[in-house]
Amino acid sequence: MTDKVFSAVTLGDAIDVSINDIGIPPRPAILDRIGREMHLPEPDFHHLEQLICSDVALAAGLLKVANSAYFGFRTRARNVIQALTMLGLDVTSRALAGLILRRVFKTVHGLEQFWDFSARVARTSGWVAQQLELPGIVPADEAYTFGLFRDCGIAILTRRLPGYIDVLRLADADGEKNYTAIEDAACPTNHALVGSLLAQDWWLPAETSLAIRHHHDVLVLDRGESVLSAASGHLIAVAQLSEHLVQRATQQFQNREWDKLGAACLRQLNLDEAAVSTLENDVPPEVVADGV
Amino acid sequence: MTGTGDSMDAVGFDSTTGFLDRGGCLRTAVRLADASRKERQPLGALWLDLDRFKQVNESFGHLGGDAVIGRLAAQLRDEFSARAEICRMGGDEFVFLVPNCSRAQAEEVAGDVLRAVSQPIELGNIRLRPSGSIGVALFDPVEDPLSFLERADRAMIEAKRLGGGRYVISGDERVPGRLGVLLAREELAIESKIHLALESGGLTLHYQPIIHFDGSIEAVEALMRCNVAGESIPPSKIIPVAEKTGLIVRLGEWSMLNAAQHARHLSDLGLPTRVAVNVSRAQLTAPRFIEALYSAFYCADIAPELLELELTESLFMDISDTVQANLQAAKKAGVSLAIDDFGTGYSCLADLKNIPASKLKLDRAFIRVLPEDKRSLAVVRAIGQLARELGMIVVAEGVETVEQFELLADIGLDAVQGFHCARPMDGQALVAWLRNRR
Repeated sequence: MTDKVFSAVTLGDAIDVSINDIGIPPRPAILDRIGREMHLPEPDFHHLEQLICSDVALAAGLLKVANSAYFGFRTRARNVIQALTMLGLDVTSRALAGLILRRVFKTVHGLEQFWDFSARVARTSGWVAQQLELPGIVPADEAYTFGLFRDCGIAILTRRLPGYIDVLRLADADGEKNYTAIEDAACPTNHALVGSLLAQDWWLPAETSLAIRHHHDVLVLDRGESVLSAASGHLIAVAQLSEHLVQRATQQFQNREWDKLGAACLRQLNLDEAAVSTLENDVPPEVVADGV
Repeated sequence: MTGTGDSMDAVGFDSTTGFLDRGGCLRTAVRLADASRKERQPLGALWLDLDRFKQVNESFGHLGGDAVIGRLAAQLRDEFSARAEICRMGGDEFVFLVPNCSRAQAEEVAGDVLRAVSQPIELGNIRLRPSGSIGVALFDPVEDPLSFLERADRAMIEAKRLGGGRYVISGDERVPGRLGVLLAREELAIESKIHLALESGGLTLHYQPIIHFDGSIEAVEALMRCNVAGESIPPSKIIPVAEKTGLIVRLGEWSMLNAAQHARHLSDLGLPTRVAVNVSRAQLTAPRFIEALYSAFYCADIAPELLELELTESLFMDISDTVQANLQAAKKAGVSLAIDDFGTGYSCLADLKNIPASKLKLDRAFIRVLPEDKRSLAVVRAIGQLARELGMIVVAEGVETVEQFELLADIGLDAVQGFHCARPMDGQALVAWLRNRR
């Protein structure tokens, strides 16, 4: 793994946005516009370039994504239109969704550390997807986006439900019960469902949205393709394994999810404990541990 | 019409039956397809396969099988050679190419062929009653003749899958969709467009205001629009497929969240307005409906009172305990409920006391015949009276004229919706419309 992946998914310090208290915004207009262009027989890349370039930080972020090791392009994208051409519209749309979500999260007061952790899980997920060579099932950028969005429901519910953090503490400490069932017992909904709605609203692929919905559900994971597509199952497993690696490396945000889901995730990925140890040894510190 | 008699030994003909063989069939299909394009005349293909013919061969040997084929070929030649080019594709498979053939005519020929095939055949002292499966394709001028024949073949396989002894028209076959549900080909295309719309921005909500007689806004109804690759797909096509495939749950959740977000947007602009969103029976019986409802107003960060659920008539076919529990929970959450399209379909007066709704929307069927139809007027007046006594707001749908508007105001209904007041409009236009009314 190289520094590239790490730098690729870092927006840089140039972003200066003040989203303050608006929480998670409705779907960004840029995603709608890209969606509309995707439907056209001949998408107007110049028009999209103008839209993206109107937000300098977004344009910079997209260039970094296109030049990241996730995609392994030999040539470097020097401008947005090259990045668009190299990535294609659907990957661009996912990348922009991830960049915007990061920006939003970073400004939600009190969740900075949680966001750091999510970003590490996302980066590690991208790295794991590359190591396991799953490009046909889970492209690295999709694993990365899933890692970012997987727990975004937590940010939304933290703002709306007083005492929600205490519920999460209970769920983190429980080694047996389903995580979202503990939330459901105390709250009208859970972070997985909220996150899947948001992902769908932001036009992320169905596999991502469905994987977010079921990412704590060991039964669904084990039932395989009758409920989830192979892609959704792999997304869940890659991110859960990555969370485990990040927790082992940083001792942060400890929970018992690997105890509950680990075996099912390894079955999903066809891995054994030895392979996990190898990944743990190999994962570069800048991916798994460094701040954002 | 078909090659028989002295041309039996010629290349392109089947030596047993004298019909065109596989190569002859394709050449003829190419010729007829060209003519069909040039003369703009329809062309049909019927692909016939005998049911359980393998068993005839196994029981009576190939000689028995050949006897059946020979007898059948004679019968088909007598009855159909004037109407169609008949081809033997090998074994027990035949193709009929029928020039100048509409869908109705193709169905007629298919029915006739099935009847001819099912005539009893004596084989020694055994009486066989064969049956056949037919796939029918109508030539599309943009396709090539080979894919035209392939479509007929596929439709035949579908006819066999359905048990044989029948015909299936290409395009009507049922094939597994992405969610494993069997769908007709047109439905399959719609399913794939719904997926595309859900994943790349093909869905939008338009809004139609519901207005009190004093001009104040009661709510706006959110109406889903689906546009994929420049093609607008009407809800009447989307909803049945979405219900079959379970995609209705995703569409419903998308609508609830987007309606809630627009309610939030309007509040932020100082134009607080309740947004009503349609909810079908499939959604209300799906797991986690209430959690999704809460998720929508948590995501949008709005008070639940700004969201209203319009319960469509399919709900009233059977109000199960799950539906009842979900409606009560939605009410408890603070969301208001409206009964949509009341008075037609499955809705009935008993629903008024069983469903915790605070609003009743009278179906447009009663309104569009006003003011002339006195009986409809009496029904509208009576339902209005009853609903008021139950503490419900009554809205008339489909109000298109000033006469209807004034009449409904005189009767004492609470609000109206329809072209007379406002057409459905996109989110941006709604903001401008609301601002203009201030």
